[in-house]
Amino acid sequence: MSAFKRKRGGQAHVGKKAKKVKFVADGGEAAVEAEQEKRNEGKWTNKERVLIFSSRGINFRTRHLMQDLRTMMPHSKADTKMDRKDKLFVVNEVCEIKNCNKCLFFEAKKKQDLYMWISNSPHGPSAKFLVQNIHTLAELKMTGNCLKGSRPLLSFDPKFDKEPHYALLKELFTQTFSTPRYHPKSQPFVDHVFTFTIADNRIWFRNYQIIEEDASLVEVGPRFVLNLIKVFQGSFGGPTLYENPDFQSPNMHRREIRLAAAARVREKQMVKEMQKMKRTEAKEDLARDVTADVFLTPADEKPVHIQTEAPEPKMVKKNKHKAFKRQRMKMW
Amino acid sequence: MIIDSKSMESVEEEALLGEESEESEEEHSELSDDELQEAFSKGLLKPGMNVLVDKPKKLVNNVEGMKQCLAGLRKDLPWVERLDLTNPPAEDVIFKAEGKAPTASKGDVNADDDFQREMFFYRQAQATVLEALPLLNKHGISTKRPDDYFAEMAKSDQHMQKIRKKLISKQLILEKSEKAKKLREQRKFGKKVQVEVIQKRQKEKKAMMTAVKKYQKGMTDKLDFLEGDKKTSKDSSQGPKKAVTKKGSNAKRKYKDQKFGFGGKKSGKKWNTKESYNDVSGFRAKVAHAKSGKGGKKGKGGGGGKQNKRPGKSVRKKMKSRS
Repeated sequence: MSAFKRKRGGQAHVGKKAKKVKFVADGGEAAVEAEQEKRNEGKWTNKERVLIFSSRGINFRTRHLMQDLRTMMPHSKADTKMDRKDKLFVVNEVCEIKNCNKCLFFEAKKKQDLYMWISNSPHGPSAKFLVQNIHTLAELKMTGNCLKGSRPLLSFDPKFDKEPHYALLKELFTQTFSTPRYHPKSQPFVDHVFTFTIADNRIWFRNYQIIEEDASLVEVGPRFVLNLIKVFQGSFGGPTLYENPDFQSPNMHRREIRLAAAARVREKQMVKEMQKMKRTEAKEDLARDVTADVFLTPADEKPVHIQTEAPEPKMVKKNKHKAFKRQRMKMW
Repeated sequence: MIIDSKSMESVEEEALLGEESEESEEEHSELSDDELQEAFSKGLLKPGMNVLVDKPKKLVNNVEGMKQCLAGLRKDLPWVERLDLTNPPAEDVIFKAEGKAPTASKGDVNADDDFQREMFFYRQAQATVLEALPLLNKHGISTKRPDDYFAEMAKSDQHMQKIRKKLISKQLILEKSEKAKKLREQRKFGKKVQVEVIQKRQKEKKAMMTAVKKYQKGMTDKLDFLEGDKKTSKDSSQGPKKAVTKKGSNAKRKYKDQKFGFGGKKSGKKWNTKESYNDVSGFRAKVAHAKSGKGGKKGKGGGGGKQNKRPGKSVRKKMKSRS
């Protein structure tokens, strides 16, 4: 009896008996089914547990993001940091120990890049993402608030139904992020909504609080962007099902930027060198001017007439006086 | 002749890292002269320039496998357990209000335009909420908390206070800047008005003076300017009154200041100075003469005399015993 009482929903069980009596009175098969449903009401049946943990070498932002996710998801469990030396399939064992069937594993590389693994633990598929643009709960611009452990609504972009890999991801996200009904740590109200949208070949995650029934929303929770790398058939391993063609590893990205900068510098240097060379190279003296006879026009030669006498002064109307003076001088 | 450079590149990188494996050595040897000669003789290499070209990368897209996986992963849970919805974003009210046509690429939001992108997400969430609320009501799950339901929130109260303070401070800063702008405007305007008023007054004064001078010099007989004068005098009479009252209060103020100002009277105010000794303004002749004349009192008679005369000790005693 004591064990019975310790079970969750023990009180409800007592209540159910009364209901059972009522239904038996009605009779029929449908009654039995309804009876079962009623018995299950208030019981946590969807046993979904998510293990959220990380590897070593994460920075404060990642740590806070993990904490925020644990706050948002009451069906999550935490674990200590995993050593980087262990191979990835060790994670599966950790999941089994903790009795979890989903896992969110954060991996930090070079203290710069954050990768996130989401997987269905024993056999199911898994996916690896590059996480960018992390904003945590504690940022003062996120002004909304929600109950700790309340169940979220999940909102997906219609693009998730168009491609098979997105459909698979949608199913994974749904099962991972939705809080099971009647979970002991959950609150019975629905007051926030997670949105997953696809833009620019990335998955954008947002969390909004529902304020009014007319759907006025305020942003609450963490926000991040997921860039899909690969989808695997097994959990943390197995054959690759899908590879994202638009994915560029952050190293390559940084390398490209550096190469572009280097190329620009090299080009500038080259241009400078060319200019220097042009200035310093020996300039050849042209013996013959190529453009000399451009304006030579064939014409008859006129006889050269050398003037020995000065020409006569012109009669300028303006300078009347001068003309007069000259004439005067001539007369003199 | 196109040689697959992908393997070549990876070989080079491995060589850089210093990793030595048998595989890399073999591929290295392919580039050596002997191997090239062999390949040429076999007919794999043709004469001419051989360029290394990247083989197009084959990407895995195992649609069948994914579909199978999905089928295996799916759990047939009722909607109430999952609470998920797929929907396009709700209608953009702002866009409609501004009369702009909705963007052609509605489905393809521009990720670089921050505002547009966030509004897109917001509208998607809104559409979900609008669709989900009736469904939730049907299943009996409420979205509103009763007012007396106290439970732990995701963010602590302290944090929310911080947020509130920040919002308030932002608002205050905005208001201050607005006020400052308005003040600046007002000052500019006020300065203008002041300048105008001063100019007007100067003009009037000038006009008045010239009119008066003209009258003085006998140029004009009319005393029209006086009417203007009267009007102005009315105002000016009130002016001196105000001045007088000010002076009156000024005197009282002065006396009070002298008595109580700067911590009250200084010591030595009860002693005579040369001026106060020579000051006979407090001498009342009537009182002085009345005191000296006792006969005068007798002459007057009983009733009136006692106002100024103080009775003697014995009489006072008697009065005291009597009363």
